[in-house]
Amino acid sequence: MDERYSRQVLFPGIGKAGQEKICKKHVLMIGAGALGSGNAEVLTRAGVGRLTIVDRDYVEASNLQRQQLYTEEDVAEKLPKAAAAKKRLSAINSDVEVKAIIGDATPAMLEDLVHDVDVIIDATDNFETRMAINDVSQKYKIPWIYGACVGSYGMSFSIIPGKTPCLNCLLRTIPMQGLTCDTGGIISPAVQMVISHQSAEVLKMLVEDWDAVRTSFVSFDLWRNQYTSLKMGKAKFAGCLSCGEERTYPYLDQENMTKTTVLCGRDTVQVRPSTQGDLSLERLAGQLSTLGYTVKGNPYLLSVEMGSLRMVIFNDGRALIHGTKDLTHAKSIYQRILG
Amino acid sequence: MNKILFFAHLRDAVGEEYLKLNATGKTVGELKVELAGSYNLPKLDTVMTAVNEEFAQDDEVIQDGDEIAFIPPVSGG
Repeated sequence: MDERYSRQVLFPGIGKAGQEKICKKHVLMIGAGALGSGNAEVLTRAGVGRLTIVDRDYVEASNLQRQQLYTEEDVAEKLPKAAAAKKRLSAINSDVEVKAIIGDATPAMLEDLVHDVDVIIDATDNFETRMAINDVSQKYKIPWIYGACVGSYGMSFSIIPGKTPCLNCLLRTIPMQGLTCDTGGIISPAVQMVISHQSAEVLKMLVEDWDAVRTSFVSFDLWRNQYTSLKMGKAKFAGCLSCGEERTYPYLDQENMTKTTVLCGRDTVQVRPSTQGDLSLERLAGQLSTLGYTVKGNPYLLSVEMGSLRMVIFNDGRALIHGTKDLTHAKSIYQRILG
Repeated sequence: MNKILFFAHLRDAVGEEYLKLNATGKTVGELKVELAGSYNLPKLDTVMTAVNEEFAQDDEVIQDGDEIAFIPPVSGG
């Protein structure tokens, strides 16, 4: 360990004691896209003890421009991102215990996962999941770090239960999506800047240097040369349902969660059945081939060509319908195949 | 007078990095409604607002000389 981590041990903020802490800590990362790839690589190289990665998606060609853990080979194999990330991270640092979970980060899953987690990193692409992370963070008193980007614009904020305002204080409701995700595109430097802010915050928390944790809300635009750091002293909302006195953790109620979602930045709808199953993908592939569909697959998922649409079915019953943003249409396509 | 700054897609929608206008005496919430109407902006109710680089709630009253910034939270990642 001495040689491997020597340069960050030399850094006064970490030191030998800090490195020992980092090596014992457990980080939960929700999402393994652009922000997830970068944060995971930083933490793996830094020698975090355990890293649990949850992601519902698989690697596509359009990811390679910015999602640094993935390769053309992963695209060709349609590997789930969590599995592809684990493969690459284990090659980088075999001392880190990486756990890959292929699935949607539902409130129930989050509550199952957080018990021995020290910090949660937000690397998701939607506010529904972020609000669930926020409620779990408050309920179990685990800090988390919000990060997001679109175009050349990005932002980050560290949320410490009992100390800082929470995401629900700032937003009060789930913002409507689509305005930026589908139209803004994304450049890699914006991703990297958010990763730098998030991963520096995680390192501070892992070495328990709480005084160093940023209390302001950072946002920047790398193309337009803007950088702001907002003071958050007035942001805590007394009536907040996630962190106020009368808290109810509204985003942990599974019934409140949508079952179909348009995925950010893509012509794709995710359909999530209300009860998760364990599909026999092999049998399904056989049936669909018989019906004349072109079907490709691996142990994790099936990809079915359906005219202008492509449906990717995961073995927990979840599906991604590519080629549409119409929720109802997507649900209908899903039910045509899976009942 | 007040300087009103816009970030991300709001800046594109307004077409300017900032506007100079008199919002003194209005609340942040009132200014949001007024701007959304006159610049054909998307709804601003979930947009975060800073007054002089400090997070402000919708009921905060704007003073003369305050600099207001509208910062839309984004979801990409």
